[in-house]
Amino acid sequence: MGVLGNLIDSKLKKYDPIWMAENGKGGQRTRYYESTGVAKYREWRGLKDTMFDYVSWLNNVLAMGKMVASAPVPIMKGFWEYRWMGSFLGTFMFIDRLFEGYRDQELRVAHAQMHAIVKNLTGRIGYILSHDRRLGASQAKSEKLVPIDEVLPELFMTGFPDLYPVPLQTLPEFIICDVDQHIEPYYIDVAESFGLPADVCSRCAAETGVALDDAFPLVGKALITTNMPCNASEATSMFQRRRVGLPDYQATLAMIHNDDELALPFSKEIMKETIAFIEEQYNTKFNWKTFFEAAKRINEQNNFELEKWDYMKTGYTAEVGIAETLYKLYEWQSVNGADPYFNKVDRKVMKRLRKCYEDRYEPFGGKTRHRAFLWGPSAVYYTDFPTWIQNCWGVAIVLNMDSTMGFNMVDTEDEDRAMEDLTRLTQKATMRHMAVGGWDNVNAVWEWAHNFNCDMVLMNDNIACKGMLGVHSIMEEQARELGFHFIFIEHDLEDSRTVSRQNMRDCVNQYMSIVLNEEPLDPTIVSFDDSEAY
Amino acid sequence: MKFDWKKCFQILGKIGLVGLIGFAVTFTIYMGNFENKLIYYVVRPFLNKHYDSQVRDRRIV
Repeated sequence: MGVLGNLIDSKLKKYDPIWMAENGKGGQRTRYYESTGVAKYREWRGLKDTMFDYVSWLNNVLAMGKMVASAPVPIMKGFWEYRWMGSFLGTFMFIDRLFEGYRDQELRVAHAQMHAIVKNLTGRIGYILSHDRRLGASQAKSEKLVPIDEVLPELFMTGFPDLYPVPLQTLPEFIICDVDQHIEPYYIDVAESFGLPADVCSRCAAETGVALDDAFPLVGKALITTNMPCNASEATSMFQRRRVGLPDYQATLAMIHNDDELALPFSKEIMKETIAFIEEQYNTKFNWKTFFEAAKRINEQNNFELEKWDYMKTGYTAEVGIAETLYKLYEWQSVNGADPYFNKVDRKVMKRLRKCYEDRYEPFGGKTRHRAFLWGPSAVYYTDFPTWIQNCWGVAIVLNMDSTMGFNMVDTEDEDRAMEDLTRLTQKATMRHMAVGGWDNVNAVWEWAHNFNCDMVLMNDNIACKGMLGVHSIMEEQARELGFHFIFIEHDLEDSRTVSRQNMRDCVNQYMSIVLNEEPLDPTIVSFDDSEAY
Repeated sequence: MKFDWKKCFQILGKIGLVGLIGFAVTFTIYMGNFENKLIYYVVRPFLNKHYDSQVRDRRIV
């Protein structure tokens, strides 16, 4: 880095929160205004890493600038019309929070992946808003878009290259609830003001509220819904289809789906009918050639994922924590082979990960004390939970449940076999694979934890999820029998008013201090008020 | 035609100066977290006030 670089680093290291925590001079929370989540200044990570973080920030600024330039009028109208659009302004703060304490290799991997998300998402926002009838787009222009349920992976839509899939709930709810903890309570209140009980899953309530508030973009001429795997969620689908008012097909894939013999024939027919419905409604034909091209991309991504897992099992990896899980969630659930840029990023990242393994690189300065498998949904993102638990207690989140979704390969030559593989992949989507797709999937946490050499399992406990509440004590008993450190972390998914971020952190704080008798790495982030933060 | 080194250096100098000023401005914004402060204390309160005043048609049909 040179003499000048070393001089700058030695002079400015007193602003580095990791150095501050190590030397009893403060820590990550020192640079924040109380309760707001607004930092007085950005994290000093040493000259080299700070400059890298700055360039990454600049890249994201440019991506957002490009989005506005691509459709300035619809974007401005979108900000004016949709409350959730305002929340996207919190993205920079969100990224800063996620990567606190990241240095060196993990910082580079995290930013490469985050930029792919920002690039794809901003492009998508610009495109959707410029085709939104609510914002003035013509019927004809809007009809090239196909609204589909957010938990349907988009791979099947790559067979319609002339159409543009819009995971309907992703912009107003699925993604933005991670960025801003205050946005969904508004929509939840809208839903509850119509008598929707307050004890249903807050994701379902929020989506219902978005529908009733007319906050879904108005696009397309037919809708694909699905049986999101819980009763409250099915109700959401019903509210949504009524409100959206388009012809719809409900892609109700088998809920209990692990057994190919029992589930696959049924789900495969559903997939075929879904495709046939789009063909009929949009007067088009499924294109196997473009589908196979996309299938090759997702196969490559899944191959990379399996290789990454081998490194993650060892601890010598720069693919860690929230960067890993957020990228995988977005890449798999929202991109699903449709954007070659993600493959490009993956190739670049894989090179780095291979080198890290060869060099026996340990992330976070080798300060990890425990390795944890996390079973956590949205509430772990707006709380930047994996980052916090690493920085505060030295607990590495090795893998989150969002990274375990369908990783089967898809045949790229035979149409019938490809349809079967597509069905398997689609069944293994968010929620169906994790929570209510059968006991085997829930019980698999121990196997995941064991295979990834974890000594700890952190299970997010959605207090409104009736299905998972039923297995509470069984999980605790199993943890005791199998010898894992086990923490239930209560949360109300997207309603941070019921269980605050600090309430969630306290579940861990109590276990770490009382049961394990450990000292925090950074005392400034054990207990703090961030109730007004995004 | 003779290559005009002087003009070339002048252009490069100007590009360098613009780059330097651009870096100074953007790095100051970045390090001082000024864009987030602007969004949090000015833009979002303004937008929220607007959103709160919107009349939405929420009839269940």
